[in-house]
Amino acid sequence: MAAGVAAWLPFARAAAIGWMPVASTPMPIPPQDKRKAQDGLIILNVSGTKFQTWRTTLERYPDTLLGSTERDFFFHEETNEYFFDRDPDIFRHILNFYRTGKLHYPRQECISAYDEELAFFGIIPEIIGDCCYEEYKDRRRENAERLQDDEEMDMSNDVTPVNLTFREYLWRAFENPHTSTLALVFYYVTGFFIAISVMANVVETVPCGTLPNRSKEVSCGDRYALAFFCLDTACVMIFTVEYLLRLIAAPSRCKFMKSVMSVIDVVAIMPYYIGLVMTDNDQVSGAFVTLRVFRVFRIFKFSRHSAGLRILGYTLKSCASELGFLLFSLTMAIIIFATVMFYAEKGSSATKFTSIPAAFWYTIVTMTTLGYGDMVPKTIVGKVFGSICSLSGVLVIALPVPVIVSNFSRIYHQSQRAEKRRAQRASKEAGQALVVKAATPPFESQHHHLLHCLEKTTNHEFVDEQTFQANCMEVSVVNKAGSRSSSLSSSPHGLGSCCSRRHKKKSSFSPPSTNNQELSTIQIRERPVSNSRASLNAKLDETVPLKCDESYITPSMVSLSAPVVTSADEDASTTTAYSQSNIVRVSAL
Amino acid sequence: MCTPTKRVQGRQDPQNFRKHHCFSKKVLLNCWLVRRIIAWASPNPKDSVEDELELSAVRHRPEGLEQLEAQTRFSRKELQILYRGFKNECPSGVVNEDTFKDIYAQFFPQGDASTYAHFLFNAFDTDHNGSVSFEDFVMGLSILLRGTVQEKLIWAFNLYDINKDGYITKEEMLDIMKAIYDMMGKCTYPVLKEETPRQHVEVFFQKMDKNKDGVVTIDEFIDCCQNDENIMRSMHLFENVL
Repeated sequence: MAAGVAAWLPFARAAAIGWMPVASTPMPIPPQDKRKAQDGLIILNVSGTKFQTWRTTLERYPDTLLGSTERDFFFHEETNEYFFDRDPDIFRHILNFYRTGKLHYPRQECISAYDEELAFFGIIPEIIGDCCYEEYKDRRRENAERLQDDEEMDMSNDVTPVNLTFREYLWRAFENPHTSTLALVFYYVTGFFIAISVMANVVETVPCGTLPNRSKEVSCGDRYALAFFCLDTACVMIFTVEYLLRLIAAPSRCKFMKSVMSVIDVVAIMPYYIGLVMTDNDQVSGAFVTLRVFRVFRIFKFSRHSAGLRILGYTLKSCASELGFLLFSLTMAIIIFATVMFYAEKGSSATKFTSIPAAFWYTIVTMTTLGYGDMVPKTIVGKVFGSICSLSGVLVIALPVPVIVSNFSRIYHQSQRAEKRRAQRASKEAGQALVVKAATPPFESQHHHLLHCLEKTTNHEFVDEQTFQANCMEVSVVNKAGSRSSSLSSSPHGLGSCCSRRHKKKSSFSPPSTNNQELSTIQIRERPVSNSRASLNAKLDETVPLKCDESYITPSMVSLSAPVVTSADEDASTTTAYSQSNIVRVSAL
Repeated sequence: MCTPTKRVQGRQDPQNFRKHHCFSKKVLLNCWLVRRIIAWASPNPKDSVEDELELSAVRHRPEGLEQLEAQTRFSRKELQILYRGFKNECPSGVVNEDTFKDIYAQFFPQGDASTYAHFLFNAFDTDHNGSVSFEDFVMGLSILLRGTVQEKLIWAFNLYDINKDGYITKEEMLDIMKAIYDMMGKCTYPVLKEETPRQHVEVFFQKMDKNKDGVVTIDEFIDCCQNDENIMRSMHLFENVL
């Protein structure tokens, strides 16, 4: 496909004869082809598999190994072919890139082998077509992660370097308990004490038989108050010491204090200290008892010991919207049915549905199919709506739950994939913005001559967007026209002046420019609107040097090749479209 | 339970079959209903036949190389190069108008080349069948690149004469002129005004229309062009394009 546009240039130029009779000004002289491109077959022998292609096909991409003179290093005189001692299966894809302009990544190939081949032949992976790009990046990331995991495992198996400070050593011991024996011991001890503390909280509420001089049953906590107090003190001591040590060892104390685990730690030990501080006041002790509830948060300290708990917490957090939706729809249904039941049961005497909020309880119990039976409708209408309520409860609750369950994995993977794709696109654009594909010189000069002919036919010139805007606002158009015509007439060689003027204008352009050859592959559909078309006649007052040989043509080519942009006229979107349509250039021209 | 022969006989005779197997009209109707539902639900099978025909019609093979060599003024090698480029862009062997417009538009990124491409397409599509085959393409190119000045001028006249009636009217010329100016796009210097194409057409008619009858005939056109040395010079411009 890349050859398409170049092959049709003769046609476009021939069709320009249609403008000749209506042209208002004489036409510029066409560029001379210094040398006719020899179009011969090249034989590429890759480890015994022979590939053949036209020389011009390979020369489409002059910055790669095969398109440049670098391939001469591999020329084999005896057999008159180019011999490469590389993998022929992968080479097939590389050669197809020259033929079609699209690089594909074969799924069955190993990613590192493919990368090596690309590097050898001087092809940048960013040009992989969109059809294969995601797969390629995924495989590459998996490979990188695999390498990283291997490295980490090696690293963690290393003997700890001696020059860690005490603080770093302490933090490392806390975060990775298996690094040293002491850390492991500490890990198990804290786990044990968490378990003890939670069990003590549970057991102290169990009724423990009667005291000798009382008839009422007391809980174990009241009976063995001192023992439980001692146990609680010991646990809190351990937890406090652990928290303080972590706080000391943390590399970033602020970040540590804001983390979830440290909040849980604080909440777990605070009630004890508050209880110590508070006096034995009757009014306050009620509140103090409530605070004891927070001791149950100690159970969350187990999440440091269990990765599963952490994953569950994370997935719940990421599923928050789905849970929120479930809650919202439930609330809606509850309100609707509670209202209906209240008004349905209003008539009956001694009804339990005293108000709509009172009916909430009935609705919730019915919809979750619990059915305690403490509130039941007595009227027929009430019973009808009650049954509708319980049926809809099944739907409202049972339907979203599997959706949420599947959303767990979907959202989890999706967020990971979305991040991956964003990172990929960012890096792809960044990579493409850096590299620019150079056009083949003869094509560019001929294309330029064609556009120049059009300018001459209509007696108007192409300018870029900025100049156009400036022109619209300028008043002194006539003066400029005068100076321009003088600079026009002062140049005897049409192409020379054009080239050099383009060369001057080069600095004012944004760097990425596409090769026109890529136009057909990428933006063949929309009508392209370009805003930085090189101005063929720059607004220069001084005459420009007229020397115009190959060396001049090449740099001006970079600025000239009009990027095909399918976006609106904003520059921001233009640049992204540039970068998306740009293809490789290994070295800056 | 019935023997096979009897069943077959029953099938051939619907009445007996129905009697034997107690088929009621209702059941038959249901079957028909089911069939109707299926027919409604499934896509129209007629279209696929049309698609097949269309696909087969699009394949086109050009005449042999010798014939083309005889009919045009290109050498074998040039024809080979032309065909390879043609086939690369249009694997089916013919160009339809949309592809033509796309290809031409890539050479004029700043403007809208579709109108002019439409006129060009009509000029190349000499048999007016809606597609440009390789023969049409190469014949047109042969005139433009290797033809005599007279042939080129006749080709240009045919391009301008949109309805191919032998006269170029002002409206036709205005259409062509607008198409050419469209290719320039918006960002030009000096700024394109609405009446620029019209003025250009006036200039053209003043030059070409000798008897001032409001149309330009082919003889007026050729005479006038042959007397204009700018035009004559520009006719030789693209001779070494291939």
